[in-house]
Amino acid sequence: MNIALQTRLPAVSEYYSETKCIWCDGCGNYGIWTAVKYALVELNLHPWQVCLCYDVGCHGNGSDKIEGYRFHGLHGRVIPFAAGAKLANMKVPVIAFGGDGATFSEGIGHLVHGVRSNYPITFVLHNNTNYGLTTGQASSLTPQGQPMNTSPNGIPEHTLASMDLIFSLNPTFVARGFSGDIKLMTRILKAAIQHRGFAFVEILQACPTYNHFATHEYLLDRYFDANADGHDPGNLQQARALATQVQDRIACGILYQREKLPHFYDRLIPRQGVETTCVEEVRKYDVSEYWKELA
Amino acid sequence: MFRISLKIVGASGQGINSIGAIIAKGLKRSGYCVFGYREYPSLIKGGHASYQLDASNERICSTETKVNVLVALNHHGLELNMDELKQGGIVLHVTPAWQFPEHHRKLIAERSLRVIYFPVDDILNRLGAKAILSNVLLTAFVWSMLDQDIDVIKSLVGEKFAKKKALLELNMRCIDEGYSFNPEQGTISVALPPPDKGFASHLLITGSQAMGLGAVHAGVRLYAGYPMTPSSPLLSFIAELENKTHMVVKQAEDEITAAQIVSGAMYMGTRALTATSGVGFDLMSETLSLNAMIENPTVFVLAQRPGPATGLPTWTAQGGLLQAASCSAGEFTRCVISLSNSQDAFDLMPVAFNLAEQYQISVIVLTDKHIAEALYTQRPYDLEKAEIDRGRLVVDPEKLQALKSSDRFDPHAQGGVSLRWLPGSEAATYCAQGDEHNSMGAVDESSLNTKLQMEKRLRKSQGLKAGLPAPRLSVGGRSAKATDWMDGGDEIELLAIGWGSTGEIFQDVMCSDELRGRKIAYLHYTYLWPLRTQELERLAKRSKRIVLVEQNYQGQLGMLIRMECGLDIPDKILKYDGRPFFYDELLSSVMERCASTPEKGANLPGFEYAGASS
Repeated sequence: MNIALQTRLPAVSEYYSETKCIWCDGCGNYGIWTAVKYALVELNLHPWQVCLCYDVGCHGNGSDKIEGYRFHGLHGRVIPFAAGAKLANMKVPVIAFGGDGATFSEGIGHLVHGVRSNYPITFVLHNNTNYGLTTGQASSLTPQGQPMNTSPNGIPEHTLASMDLIFSLNPTFVARGFSGDIKLMTRILKAAIQHRGFAFVEILQACPTYNHFATHEYLLDRYFDANADGHDPGNLQQARALATQVQDRIACGILYQREKLPHFYDRLIPRQGVETTCVEEVRKYDVSEYWKELA
Repeated sequence: MFRISLKIVGASGQGINSIGAIIAKGLKRSGYCVFGYREYPSLIKGGHASYQLDASNERICSTETKVNVLVALNHHGLELNMDELKQGGIVLHVTPAWQFPEHHRKLIAERSLRVIYFPVDDILNRLGAKAILSNVLLTAFVWSMLDQDIDVIKSLVGEKFAKKKALLELNMRCIDEGYSFNPEQGTISVALPPPDKGFASHLLITGSQAMGLGAVHAGVRLYAGYPMTPSSPLLSFIAELENKTHMVVKQAEDEITAAQIVSGAMYMGTRALTATSGVGFDLMSETLSLNAMIENPTVFVLAQRPGPATGLPTWTAQGGLLQAASCSAGEFTRCVISLSNSQDAFDLMPVAFNLAEQYQISVIVLTDKHIAEALYTQRPYDLEKAEIDRGRLVVDPEKLQALKSSDRFDPHAQGGVSLRWLPGSEAATYCAQGDEHNSMGAVDESSLNTKLQMEKRLRKSQGLKAGLPAPRLSVGGRSAKATDWMDGGDEIELLAIGWGSTGEIFQDVMCSDELRGRKIAYLHYTYLWPLRTQELERLAKRSKRIVLVEQNYQGQLGMLIRMECGLDIPDKILKYDGRPFFYDELLSSVMERCASTPEKGANLPGFEYAGASS
């Protein structure tokens, strides 16, 4: 018996892609990839109902390993593309993925303005603390002094304080997950996708090939679910402290969330009271009213 | 053709634009065709700026270097612009006790110029009016010199101050005062030809406004841009209309962002637009390459100004043709079209979006500072003509159900154009993949696939080129269908080839009394890439002389023509000083060539085929 798509609940198998995975053994991307599928299914979203936008990097090689309307773009540019997609059709959830290399170097301006604009999208940072796909160069999140490919003496620049930067931008949602805990990532991703504004989700990700300093075991020993420990995401001071102080233990979970703030689209005066999406509004318009003043 | 010109000069911010705008509108409403041209430096206050109006009772779309009336709002105008007056011209100024230097006194005598001092401060004091009203006084006096009805100017100013009664009364008194001012020389008037009332119902519109209206008409629902002259007036105009159009308007953090936002919005399925200039377009070019790979229809406006680098921000050029036709990584199909005036600034917006969606390619629409900011007298637009054609977009629910992921980038699709459907559609999904990919968007670097997909994307240019309209041929000012003249037996004395804003000026030149009856043909290119050359090649064989007319140093259209068909055009009228072609200047260049056109049968071809043995 055929059941209409809209009444059938989504299954993880709908997200199955026949394209084989090509990540290294032990890569954190496997865990993130799995959690994304779980989160979408648990939110009752079929592949045709979502838009997944990938930046360039190892994570981006996952763009054809999952179903859904996907986009795989240029290095560092995923946030504005995803924002444009979302603003055109507010009915489709848009999730953007990017690595620490692209996001905190070539695309850092887009990140800053993405958070500042509070676009109604989810951004998932795959943080493996290096440029994996270009064979292990230092990113701006790699610890200073760490020898990497193209910096055999260690990088001279100091490490960018990524969470301090994020919190300086008045974010509305900040979360952190670990690629070794699929259940925790699933919970975070579901909350992020349901968030009304720009949801910044950092996933600490093992890179067994090039990251020999923050390994799977290193992260496993230090990460903990801060929400299980009683952290209230409404507490900005505590959220910021948990986000930035990662020397001994690494706080994960939903670190910060502010829900009352209108997102970018809600702030657009011309769109208030408009029920349709920009996609639905494409037609020929009579513009004679607008040229009256020019006569 | 009878034409007069009036130039208002002064410091930026002094009000030259408001005087120019009121007089332009007044003349238009009285039945004259007006063409407005602004020159100004890249600063906000000060500097020397000008607003020139050229008017006629016939269609006019160009500016002369010499003027009938000079209105100088400060003494710099008296120092800098005296040379521009025609024989018998009028200088109107407001500088008390100005002493002209010796060479200007000589010039005034030689050209029988009439110099009128307008005591603006005395009148303002008498009326108890603030300095800002000096523009109204001057406007009213200029209006009286033009022998025009005072009520026209009163109703124009009245519209502006309808809701501010006290201000309105003061403005009306200033108009009466300025209009009735009697210079010591006695009544002075500038002769205008009888009006053609047809122009009264026209619009006075800049190219940017026309393009903005065209974009809204074409169904553009999202605009993202980063300010850069001369593309900024389009952003401003779209933003001014946003509460009426209910469009999403985003001032992005840079050009890369603007291009990406627009690309994301187009991928999702709306119509979205961005515009920039020169180096701003350099920043957008990586996104152009991306859209080629994911076959995402997009439209970019490239508003040209002189470069390299920041160049001359507020001046004009046609130096961006090769940039538009060839920038960005990889080989792919694109379309480059150019606006020429306020008519096609409107008409070409739906055309650009239709082409983008029909072929799933990027379309680059060229304009320049001249078109963007010039003021045109424009017949109200035909709102029936344009169609919205979304190409092979699938929206029908049943058809969507039948789709396979591999339909999206099917390399065997007819003409290389495969089916497209939008995120959120209940259908099989696909990946818009920036890496080389197979038919469903999965990465595939195999030799066979790479070849097939490359051929798919580039095959589109054949259909595109075959479907593009032919260049427009005009003969002695009359527009004729290329086909009518293409095979006609007459020999062409001079065949000129141009594109963009050059076209209108050349049309005015061909209408001049000086060239009446000459067998001059002008071939105007709107669709520049892919480039159709068959019409040109046929005309070239019948032309005694060929000349290329462009506002750049290299003759960029000439380079593309030679690349495409081998026709080399050594004779070029080129301009690259930041100014548009001026009517009288281009006229004399054309006349020089007509005078030296070889007699029929003389063995002196003005062109040759590259590589042909001579």
